[in-house]
Amino acid sequence: MAAAKQRLPIPFPSKGSSEGADLDLVARCQAGDAAAFETLYRQHAARIYTLACRMAGSPEDGEDLLQEIFLQAHRKLGSFKGDSAIGTWLYRLALNHCLDYVRSRQAKMSRITDTLDAETSLEPVARRETPIAKLDLERAIERLPEGCREAFVLHDVEGLDHKEVGERLGIAEGTSKSQVFKARMKLRGFLRGK
Amino acid sequence: MHPNEDALNAYVDGTSSASEAADVERHLASCASCRQTVDDLREILRAVPTLDQREPPARAWSRIERAIALDADRGHAAAPRAGARISRAAIATWLAAAAAIVVATIVGLRYVPAARQQSAAARADATEQASAAAGAQAVEAELRQAEAHYENAIKGLEQIANAEQSSLDPRTAATLQKNLAVIDQAISESRAAVRAQPASEPAQQSLIENFKTKIGLLQDTVALINEMRKGNEAGAAQIVSGLKQKGN
Repeated sequence: MAAAKQRLPIPFPSKGSSEGADLDLVARCQAGDAAAFETLYRQHAARIYTLACRMAGSPEDGEDLLQEIFLQAHRKLGSFKGDSAIGTWLYRLALNHCLDYVRSRQAKMSRITDTLDAETSLEPVARRETPIAKLDLERAIERLPEGCREAFVLHDVEGLDHKEVGERLGIAEGTSKSQVFKARMKLRGFLRGK
Repeated sequence: MHPNEDALNAYVDGTSSASEAADVERHLASCASCRQTVDDLREILRAVPTLDQREPPARAWSRIERAIALDADRGHAAAPRAGARISRAAIATWLAAAAAIVVATIVGLRYVPAARQQSAAARADATEQASAAAGAQAVEAELRQAEAHYENAIKGLEQIANAEQSSLDPRTAATLQKNLAVIDQAISESRAAVRAQPASEPAQQSLIENFKTKIGLLQDTVALINEMRKGNEAGAAQIVSGLKQKGN
């Protein structure tokens, strides 16, 4: 049997900050210091915005999600007890918010994956003969159909295992696998122009 | 016979059983097409960790700041009288009100055309055509509702932007006006297209996208005014740079 890769969730450190500084920053935020909250935003916004854009599939929706996440963080920061790093707490909050968004959108659209499949296969992002360009890959991820995009982002980008992806998305573990595999094959098609 | 895609993916992930992996490897030894698939999948997985983080646009923090201000003082915002000069103290409240409109638009109206679902229903058989027609009417009604909300959001932001535009430098103001004129023209054209073909999904999408673009532009304007008021030259310069790029 080939060696299984151990996927670890990507760590979520504060940008240029130590644990002590984080605790101090959180305490200032909890005391209502607006500048401290802006600092917290600056430290974590890029990571959360990136996650939100990929989960939502567009920078516009990603920006809306970013706003909603930090508004919620501002409301809930009083309940932060320091059991985990502030970055981890924010990441969980962001991920849950993105998943709520995905679920509500899926409920509304009641799965249009098959229709989208036909559309998204019309225009390749780029005909690839050289190594994958990061920008092409980002664009290709955005174009993945709903369902398989979220599973791909959670598993292959964020490092969650299939069991956790299934739990987060409310799907079976096997469905998570098939969605991730489907996403990869679609990415391959986009990137190879097939 | 080629291994199926699940088998190739599991092989790439290293999660195949020993016998499955051996089967795939035997096949790969003689099949260039599957070797290429495996190579491509591996390359995608190698590229994923190299993806860069994205920096949110400069206006994002201003929007959050306003939403927080609104949260703290919900329900006390008042629109200025027409033509009245807005006081500095009132602007913060007013900006919060605008943010509320935009937040309401965004949260309540992530407009998703249902036409795709209905087009599938319409194909099914003749007995479903009546329900598809009813669905098309529902889509139109939803679009009209979305349009009204976007127009409200735009109106609120326009009032702020117009009232404070004198505080912008003339060249920036000109850039904004130029961009707004372009997007207004696009809105006008997509609106005409929707009126001509109410069931056309591309026309609907185009109109909604143009509304979103205009809201984004007005949000940039309000964010710029905000940054200038705070004396944040770097933040203002970043927004102006974004506005110029959009205008090119």
